[in-house]
Amino acid sequence: MPRGQKSKLRAREKRHQARSEAQRAQDAQATAAEEEQPSTSSSSPSGGSSQDEEKPSTSQAQPNTGRYHRTPLDDTAILLVQFLLRKYNMREPITKEDMIKHVIKKHKVHFREILRKASELMVLAFGIDLKEVDPTRHRYALISKLQRTNDDRLRGEEIMPQTGLLMTVLCVIFMKGNCATEKDMWEVLNVMGIYADKKHFIYGDPKKLITEDWVQERYLLYRQVSNSNPPCREFLWGPRAYAETSKMKVLEFLAKVHDTVPSAFPSWYEEALQDEEERARARFTALVHTGALATGPSMANFGSFSHLY
Amino acid sequence: QGGARRAGIMTDVHRRFLQLLMTHGVLEERGVRRLQKHCYRVHGRTAAVEELEDFINNINSVLESLYIEIKKGATEDDGRPVYALVNLATTPVSKMASDFAENELDLFRKALELIIDSETGFASSTNILNLVDQLKGKKMRKKEAEQVLQKFVQNKWLIEKEGEFTLHSRAILEMEQYIRETYPDAVKTCNICHGLLIQGQSCETCGIRMHLPCVAKYFRSAPEPRCPHCNDYWPHEIPEVFNPDKEREAGTSKANKKPSRSRQH
Repeated sequence: MPRGQKSKLRAREKRHQARSEAQRAQDAQATAAEEEQPSTSSSSPSGGSSQDEEKPSTSQAQPNTGRYHRTPLDDTAILLVQFLLRKYNMREPITKEDMIKHVIKKHKVHFREILRKASELMVLAFGIDLKEVDPTRHRYALISKLQRTNDDRLRGEEIMPQTGLLMTVLCVIFMKGNCATEKDMWEVLNVMGIYADKKHFIYGDPKKLITEDWVQERYLLYRQVSNSNPPCREFLWGPRAYAETSKMKVLEFLAKVHDTVPSAFPSWYEEALQDEEERARARFTALVHTGALATGPSMANFGSFSHLY
Repeated sequence: QGGARRAGIMTDVHRRFLQLLMTHGVLEERGVRRLQKHCYRVHGRTAAVEELEDFINNINSVLESLYIEIKKGATEDDGRPVYALVNLATTPVSKMASDFAENELDLFRKALELIIDSETGFASSTNILNLVDQLKGKKMRKKEAEQVLQKFVQNKWLIEKEGEFTLHSRAILEMEQYIRETYPDAVKTCNICHGLLIQGQSCETCGIRMHLPCVAKYFRSAPEPRCPHCNDYWPHEIPEVFNPDKEREAGTSKANKKPSRSRQH
């Protein structure tokens, strides 16, 4: 149920309590003053293109936090953090040009400083590093400082329009015993209105996508069937598909499409379960052997922690 | 110096949680709990997992200075609790600005206006596409506009049902404030929770509106549902209250077929 005013106030009160127990008592005072602003009226410019002075303020009067004096550069750094978070999710590279165009604008003379402040905030709040990967073309990338574990299974789906199609293709391969001929594949795709020789309004050139692009990205293997006469080709899962998804996930996708559950497909479900078991075993082994956990100053908050597993 | 002023609260558990939550845009409560447990496990925390609400409030107290917060809401059609990491500042359409072109943003704005003005909370594809000539920026053809609408669906700003579009819970979470401020006369609110209302049921006599999950809760054990405002008989089917446990054991999605939206007559 959408949070009404009462529950918001209660949450605010709880936050106030937590804060007043913290060491910086004066912060609590300052933020209490800020919080009392009623729901807000940020000025709304007419459109995305015509925003000049964007300040991250939620009330007309600039809140005087009192905890430390925030400069316009600080404000811009905060906006840059928000911008970077969006880019992190889209897994897109970031250019200096982009940052200046969308966020920094008239403060571009202070680009370095704003970038530095934003980077600090990103690391402290999210554990995400902003690294310059191409100094000549001023391109940056966002990389998590936290050690990679098997988070990937809990990540949101890549927000790409082609994801649905990729899952479908992986599904077909799985259902055909982990290997599907070209004929099989197009039979299914044609039913969905996707044809090898026709441009598709979302997927563009589907043939290129499944026989070239995704092969290059290692999601699929596309190879000649041995001893086939006339020669024909088949599709298999590529190594990246195995890394980024699983038989169970693909089955869940199929189940969702048919408004049912994975167990409604007993033999595939069996296979998917087995696959899950093997993965769990592999993960366990990896954790035991590598002693998986990252440590660092921030871990000090847990005190000494006993080793996982 | 910016960043985490409460050195005791923001740890790698919270950071990992945020990183993962972000990738979803918006996530159901069940998924959020799994995420939380996972993050504790990864960082070797064998102690009891903190209550989700406190966990999130802790994070929010740190993110406050960045005008970002984890906001909780609910899906309008069946009341599932959902969470999203939202920017509290900047006008929401401009939040999408770095992801979409000017004419695409304007298309979204047009769709948003149609949705808010509609009786059902849905705007038909046809009506949206008919506005294509009025868009700012580069000229967009209807075919292209169809693709852009799909992009909005993929990015969880809109939901599509049978050729009609409404706002995704993510959009409602991120844009509620903006919508209330920008369309103060057209905006509808729920008589029970007073939150922004896009889809819901309304009383045919006095016109007050309620979210479907709010209807479900309010009339839960009422033998004869009556309008809370004018006491007239409530003419619509009362949906069931969302029960996460029931769903898990039933094992099927949509075990209770509820009306996905209520229409006006």
